[in-house]
Amino acid sequence: MVLTSMTVAVLDRPAKHQVVGVDSEVMSERPAPASTLSEEIDVAAETDAARRTRFEREALQYVDQLYSAAMRMTRNPQDAEDLVQEAYTKAYSAFHQYKPGTNLKAWLYRILTNTYINIYRKKQRQPLQANTDTVEDWQMAQAAEHTSSGLRSAEAEALDHLPDSDVKEALQQIPEEFRLAVYFSDVEGFAYKEIAEILNIPIGTVMSRLHRGRKLLRSLLSDYARERGFKRGKES
Amino acid sequence: MGTENCKECESTAEAVERLERIYEYLDGALSRDDISDVQNHLSDCPECASDYDLECLIRSVVKRSCTEQAPETLKLTIIQRISQIKIEARH
Repeated sequence: MVLTSMTVAVLDRPAKHQVVGVDSEVMSERPAPASTLSEEIDVAAETDAARRTRFEREALQYVDQLYSAAMRMTRNPQDAEDLVQEAYTKAYSAFHQYKPGTNLKAWLYRILTNTYINIYRKKQRQPLQANTDTVEDWQMAQAAEHTSSGLRSAEAEALDHLPDSDVKEALQQIPEEFRLAVYFSDVEGFAYKEIAEILNIPIGTVMSRLHRGRKLLRSLLSDYARERGFKRGKES
Repeated sequence: MGTENCKECESTAEAVERLERIYEYLDGALSRDDISDVQNHLSDCPECASDYDLECLIRSVVKRSCTEQAPETLKLTIIQRISQIKIEARH
């Protein structure tokens, strides 16, 4: 089946894959609840039925979270659903390679991200959307210039009440490689090290993407909030 | 612009660096010494303190807005799909 060979291609890159699974100390602030139980499992001796049950029990709890991430990647519900299905299929095919007790959520996110990069982005024929150099330094400096000082309390309140659609739109406007880093950090609470492993980039790169992405997002959200605050001010 | 901006934060480069420290502080990525350094600065510099507040606000807004629920059928579809997969390779 095509999927199986894809899985191998996705997962068998040297060392990188290993990182997500192996070093539980580094990978998880909060150990998986089932870890003590899972560590006793002899993966090699496990029957297909037992493994499927274990997969359904442990991995499927993250469906909503992976779907939310997939929505930030593909931007539409149907593609997001397909992507999550595909990722779970790959994850199941490779589940014997997952080391019980290590960070399963990060492992699944890594597969989701690889699946997205390998299949969807190619299919959409989108060029690598985010070239770090295209974000001008002045935009960054502008974003860092104490944005909040120019944000009156009415606007801060407007920001707090921004509709979800505005926030998603703002997030969507920042380059993809920044967006995913910010998403993994702010929404999923992954540590730098985990994000590095999910995106397969060095920690220094994670930090610079996060910094840049956050400054851009701050600048965009401030604009949205100003606009909303302004409109609201005019109405009253 | 604020009037009580501290000397350290007057240059843009300093401001950028301070903002990044706030990010790292919130990310739980700083050492103990750096944490108290940031905390001291936040209590002295109203500009950075309000940047900090804004950053907290942004993160909560982002988190709130991006939490979606997968369609009911998705889980079932996944279960059905994986039940058709035979795992051949064993390591």
